[in-house]
Amino acid sequence: MAKFIVIGERISTTAPSINKALTERDPEPIVKRAKEQIAAGAAYIDVNIGPAESDGEERMKWAVQLIQSECDNIPLALDTSNAKAIEAGISVYNRSKGKPIVNSADAGDRIGYIDLAAANDAICIALCSKGVVAADNDERMAFLQEMLERGLGLGMEAEDLWFDPLFLVIKGMQDKQMDILEAIKMISDMGLNTTGGLSNNSNGMPKELRQIFDSNLLAMAIMNGFTSAIVNPNDKRLMETVRVTDIIRNEVLYADSCLDDLN
Amino acid sequence: MAFKPASQKFNATINQVEIGSGDKKITLGGECTLPFYTFDAEIPNAPKVGVELTDLGIDETLPGLKEFYAGAATVAEQAAKAATMEGADFISIRFEGADPNGENKSVDECVEIAKAVADATDMPLVICGCKNAEKDADLFNKIAEALAGKNVLFLAAKEENYKTVGASAGLAYNQKVGAESAVDINLAKQLNVVLGQLGVKNETIVMNVGTATAGYGFEYVVSTMDRVKAAALSQNDAALQMPIMTPIASETYNVKEAIVSEEDFPEWGDRETRAIDMEITTAAACLASGSNAVILKHPASVATISKMIKELV
Repeated sequence: MAKFIVIGERISTTAPSINKALTERDPEPIVKRAKEQIAAGAAYIDVNIGPAESDGEERMKWAVQLIQSECDNIPLALDTSNAKAIEAGISVYNRSKGKPIVNSADAGDRIGYIDLAAANDAICIALCSKGVVAADNDERMAFLQEMLERGLGLGMEAEDLWFDPLFLVIKGMQDKQMDILEAIKMISDMGLNTTGGLSNNSNGMPKELRQIFDSNLLAMAIMNGFTSAIVNPNDKRLMETVRVTDIIRNEVLYADSCLDDLN
Repeated sequence: MAFKPASQKFNATINQVEIGSGDKKITLGGECTLPFYTFDAEIPNAPKVGVELTDLGIDETLPGLKEFYAGAATVAEQAAKAATMEGADFISIRFEGADPNGENKSVDECVEIAKAVADATDMPLVICGCKNAEKDADLFNKIAEALAGKNVLFLAAKEENYKTVGASAGLAYNQKVGAESAVDINLAKQLNVVLGQLGVKNETIVMNVGTATAGYGFEYVVSTMDRVKAAALSQNDAALQMPIMTPIASETYNVKEAIVSEEDFPEWGDRETRAIDMEITTAAACLASGSNAVILKHPASVATISKMIKELV
């Protein structure tokens, strides 16, 4: 085990201000959000440029170089359905602080992202789904097995495949939550890494409840061996959970001021 | 199957802290591996050995020590003499006499001694207090001002006085700050964090994580230093990447083996030999556990420990 890895999710075209900045190549809002996330404890920054069908390659190159040059070569997760844009991003990526993450493959149409990661010595986030969400953990683990074999066959290290069990929304799929946690346990028992967009669990909830659900689910997932998550590191309650669980797992030495700098 | 040695070289480094100025200045830390693991990675700065003096003068009940300092009447003269000691890298002055429950020397008197010492030697200086947190804060503040530019280490700020010591020695006078905890890993980290919050830079902090004489609960010292180095190197914890300096003599000369006379314990043999043995054993164990510097009293101990370091690094 090691310290829990936070991948900051706030550079995404789903945020209108970021979408605009990416389109207009306006560095300021992007650098600001990257720095906020790093200061809050993000080890990686996710760069979601959207589908970016027309100018994806230029857009990703610009974003990768901008964020790394302004933020001491922070490692990045390159997040788009445009595979060529990911390759373009990797071509200008600085590896001095860590490999790039390809976000993301699945066992269906996006299985080729594993090939892309293998060819570029990158980490690959692998969604345990095949077009549709897995019906149960048998299916989930079968998808995982397909992707694991594909990656290993291409010479990847198992530790470079980060499996995402796919968090499901509590409002509507409450009865599936324990399955997800069980899947994390099974993946962890195989010695493999995990990740995921944890906040999906609280979609549709009132804002004041979301942080509470996110942080509690995170603690339960970490107990089952969850190794990283794609989350908002500027969510103080969530980062408290990350810090405290790192200490309880003896990955970070306790000190009275261990939460002082969170805000 | 062929033996494949596992290298313990880490992607983290102990901070380098300079003490003193000019040709004699020393650098502590800088390594990215465990103590003396030169087979895994280079250790750029070998551990350093300091000589312990106090404002109360030389312990004349130890004949060898008395002979070494013969003719040196003042602390400044003793410091000049100590600077010639084989293997000595720096000098530490402990102001025991400032203790309000002891001689209660005035701060001004202590400042004069510190200034005289600084004039008498160009060796790097470490200033230790009297263990009274309030008096030490005042003492360190005035000495830090008087020795501005000398890049002196104050050993040390404690939980009770870190704000004053950090603000004066660390911030106002740009000297080096020691952070003292008594065999308590969580407090060791906490002090570094709060000194950082005060504005004292990590690169100006040296830790004294405490010690005991070998045989007197020393396993707690080992586990503390082990845990500190593990956090610093394998967990890359910036709040614990400060080099460690351990005063040895101030502990080892207070235990029975170093105190009782040969008349009372003839089977134990010569007292001074015993005292030196306790000092050397404890210093060697602290260095093996992670100390980047030790402070010793006896010339025989300084020579032996510095030779050991030279052989290993």
